[in-house]
Amino acid sequence: MQLDQDTIAAVATAQGYGGIGVIRLSGPQAKSIAVAIAGFEPKPRQAHYCSFLAETTEVLDQGLLLFFPNPHSFTGEDVLELQGHGGPVILDMLLQRCLELGARQARPGEFSERAFLNGKLDLAQAEAIADLIEASSKQAARNAVQSLQGAFSRQVHLLVEQLIQLRMYVEGAIDFPEEEIDFLNDGQILGRLEHLEQDLDQLLQQAGQGALLRDGMTIAIAGRPNAGKSSLLNALARRDVAIVTEIAGTTRDVLHERIQIEGMPLHILDTAGLRVTQDRVEQIGIQRAVSAIQEADRILLVVDSSKEADADLHELWREFFDQDPDPKRITLIRNKVDLSGEPEGLELNEAGYTILRMAARDSVGIDTLCQHLKACMGYQPGLEMGFSARRRHLEALRRAATLLQQGREHLLYTEAGELLAEDLRLTQQILGEITGSFSSDELLGRIFSSFCIGK
Amino acid sequence: MDFPSRFGVIVVGGGHAGAEAALAAARMGVNTLLLTHNIETLGQMSCNPAIGGIGKSHLVKEVDALGGAMATATDKGGIQFRVLNSRKGPAVRATRAQADRVLYKAAMRHILENQPNLWLFQQPCDDLIVEQDQVRGVVTQMGVRFLCDAVVLTAGTFLGGLIHIGLEHYSGGRAGDPASINLAHRLRELPLRVGRLKTGTPPRIDSRSVDYSVMTEQPGDTPLPVMSFMGSVDQHPPQVSCWITHTNARTHEIIASNLDRSPMYSGVIEGIGPRYCPSIEDKIHRFADKDSHQVFLEPEGLTTHELYPNGISTSLPFDVQLQIVRSMRGLENAHILRPGYAIEYDYFNPQDLQYSLETKAIGGLFFAGQINGTTGYEEAAAQGLLAGANAALRAQGRDSWHPRRDEAYIGVLIDDLITLGTSEPYRMFTSRAEYRLILREDNADLRLTEKGRELGLVDDARWAAFERKREGIEREQQRLKTTWIQAGSPVAQAVEARFGAALQREYSLLNLLTRPEIDYAALVELTGEGVEDPQVAEQVEIQTKYAGYIDRQQDEIRRLQASENIRLPEDLEYSGIPGLSREIQHKLTQARPQTLGQASRIPGVTPAAISLLMIHLKKRSTQSKTADQEA
Repeated sequence: MQLDQDTIAAVATAQGYGGIGVIRLSGPQAKSIAVAIAGFEPKPRQAHYCSFLAETTEVLDQGLLLFFPNPHSFTGEDVLELQGHGGPVILDMLLQRCLELGARQARPGEFSERAFLNGKLDLAQAEAIADLIEASSKQAARNAVQSLQGAFSRQVHLLVEQLIQLRMYVEGAIDFPEEEIDFLNDGQILGRLEHLEQDLDQLLQQAGQGALLRDGMTIAIAGRPNAGKSSLLNALARRDVAIVTEIAGTTRDVLHERIQIEGMPLHILDTAGLRVTQDRVEQIGIQRAVSAIQEADRILLVVDSSKEADADLHELWREFFDQDPDPKRITLIRNKVDLSGEPEGLELNEAGYTILRMAARDSVGIDTLCQHLKACMGYQPGLEMGFSARRRHLEALRRAATLLQQGREHLLYTEAGELLAEDLRLTQQILGEITGSFSSDELLGRIFSSFCIGK
Repeated sequence: MDFPSRFGVIVVGGGHAGAEAALAAARMGVNTLLLTHNIETLGQMSCNPAIGGIGKSHLVKEVDALGGAMATATDKGGIQFRVLNSRKGPAVRATRAQADRVLYKAAMRHILENQPNLWLFQQPCDDLIVEQDQVRGVVTQMGVRFLCDAVVLTAGTFLGGLIHIGLEHYSGGRAGDPASINLAHRLRELPLRVGRLKTGTPPRIDSRSVDYSVMTEQPGDTPLPVMSFMGSVDQHPPQVSCWITHTNARTHEIIASNLDRSPMYSGVIEGIGPRYCPSIEDKIHRFADKDSHQVFLEPEGLTTHELYPNGISTSLPFDVQLQIVRSMRGLENAHILRPGYAIEYDYFNPQDLQYSLETKAIGGLFFAGQINGTTGYEEAAAQGLLAGANAALRAQGRDSWHPRRDEAYIGVLIDDLITLGTSEPYRMFTSRAEYRLILREDNADLRLTEKGRELGLVDDARWAAFERKREGIEREQQRLKTTWIQAGSPVAQAVEARFGAALQREYSLLNLLTRPEIDYAALVELTGEGVEDPQVAEQVEIQTKYAGYIDRQQDEIRRLQASENIRLPEDLEYSGIPGLSREIQHKLTQARPQTLGQASRIPGVTPAAISLLMIHLKKRSTQSKTADQEA
């Protein structure tokens, strides 16, 4: 029996770093998603070693793919397991890919719930899950107390309050057309809707920062050849990851390394030095470097402080600086201070770039860099980490934003109040997953206490 | 004496709930008795002379689709028809009619008197015959005992009714009618939770004393709307207008300085009144910053001068009522025909009912209408029809039936009542229905006629008309789906000429209709082809325009269906379920939900609690299986 129409997906292994990381999917689309990711139709209950492909057929990861057709699976539905390499960034990319293919992020306990509803759990297992739910609700209770003071939930509550106000006007106009409160036509609703959209966007950005904090930040090391990028990677990793030579152009491909600073995950990409070259392999390396840099959360731009030629940033990488990159995304590393004699340390220049003077090869200034990266991630010692938005929350906020935009179009172009109302109802349902539900009777109560209704 | 013949169903009360209950049971072939204290007041509109309105017309059309009488009586008694929200989308459009009290009542009585299997009897009901928690019959005031299989009680505001005008009060079920005191006492002995509610009505005004020249006229709509699926415009009597005036600073001053003489504010009235239909003193008190309120003058009929001033329901003393009325523009010389009043009455907590509207405590005893804490003729009629049908099903030994929340406003009404209970008179609004885009006025027939036919509620004539319409819709949808417009063809060029955008590829007519700028009429104009039946055209257009939203709501419904189908045993001991908080245990014990889905809609019941419930149920069934095997 397939109870639900939709397919759910989630990372099944614990958060953080492990040898392997597993993504589990359950639902009718499991098979088609397997085909899209693996490029072939999986055999039931067989382990396939294969590449997991992005939409561009680029390889995201390699690992084992297992497909369990219903009803012989954990949940009783079609189940797909992707066993790849552990680590938040890769797993996240893979999960994102599954979501793009039509799956939806599972709610906590939803796999067990489906298994239970499909009669796949026996009594002992059910009791174990009962304990789990109980435990999680205790945790939830503790979390609730914490998040009462937490900035994120406060922000979401503010949004929901705005949404309720907006719905009050929309539903009021629909249910009480004879009450001289036709808000749909007086601009009130549009103003409130746009305000809500702006606040939601802002929260989404902030919450994105929070998710970064939880799930890690991607840092690209970029610069001219031989500026000391690979030395910097080795210094950060505290081991020899990259081959370091005096020969410019040693690093050809993008090197990946995951490190942690005080428990916070960083995903570091060492890239090929940027220069004009005739070497075909190096050219491809540079192309990859550019795309890695563009997608990174933060760029460490390394220059050789002992070379006069590197002084002009703009000259260093014209194509990049022509696009006016956000200076807040960039840290300028003036490397090799042992040669130039510049004093080690951190400063902010007039253009808004952070400048760090260090000598990567001898790990001089590496602690300052770590502290700096922690600060970039939003980590402020002594402050409670209020914004610990989860990816699930982020997804909810994104879906809410899409609905609001759709609602605005309904209001503006088709003047369809009832469709706007439907979009707002769904928005509230989605935000309710974060803040708790709100019934239509409560909404009516708000209408009656705000407007004088009644013939 | 014992009445010599036995009935399948006895309906007590001849208001809007009672009439539909009796008609439904009789239509299903069950020998039915309608017991009323006064045959002259069958189908009486005790409050405002109007049927329909937002959310309410949806109920009327659903009752109609199930063969009920309310819409037909409205078509025959309606003297002003309007479609509210006509500029908004079809899902929230609602028909409202002013009705001539006399014509409406006459139409209803005519239908009742001509219904086969239905018998009327005039006597107040004083007692119920209950044996071993089963209802066996009723006893009238003069001691006649009627035996039956099921009783539907539709007592309206009559149970322990108390009328307030100023600080004076007296016993009454409605101005001019006695309250049901004995029956109220008897019901209070049953294991049902009872409460008090309040509602009010404005003073009525003599039209001859009104100066209309200073008021705004509100005419009905043209073309004239029709309420019943089987109705037509030529059933309508001559049409009249309503008039609008306003309260003003002086009105508000009069009310404010007399609040101490209001039974509401001096604490004489205990019952809770509706938030959405407040008395004028309530409006002035709670919205002090608003300096004027609308008052609609609604004619009570074609053969009377009586006017119903909608918006000034009040229980202030008569001398204050007179001042209030005369402070308004156009009413300076108004004569009051009947004083306004507030009425308090007993209602029973609807959480003690099953979805069939049968009480959980007494088998065969059904409640419908204001006795369940609702207000409004339409809400009453909807419950009456459902209770009457279920009483008949019980008498016939068949399974009960009720529509789900996604099938009908009737479903929303019943589910809200028995899941959440109510602490104020419950009124329907479209915002109560989460599947509002599916539950439209225009498709009530498509949603319910088939079920009504299956139950025996729908007669041959309606069924034939319905099948014609349904086939017409299917045929037309098929035609639109399979008729293709080639890019560059004459029709494509006509589309471009009219809407400015060239068709890049081949489109079916159905594709074209999904575009916001193209409606059905435009399609007919462009292609020269189309159906003549406006109801078919309307359905095809609405279903196409809403298609995306309808699909999304259908998905939501399917997702939630699983938990709707999991039944909770009636003897479930919530306090014994490990992990459930005391608060949730209490809420579930109070509401005693019948399904897991219903439990999840009780405010404060968390998803975690629902999971625990599911696990508990599973455990229980495993244990009982083991026990069976051991035994």
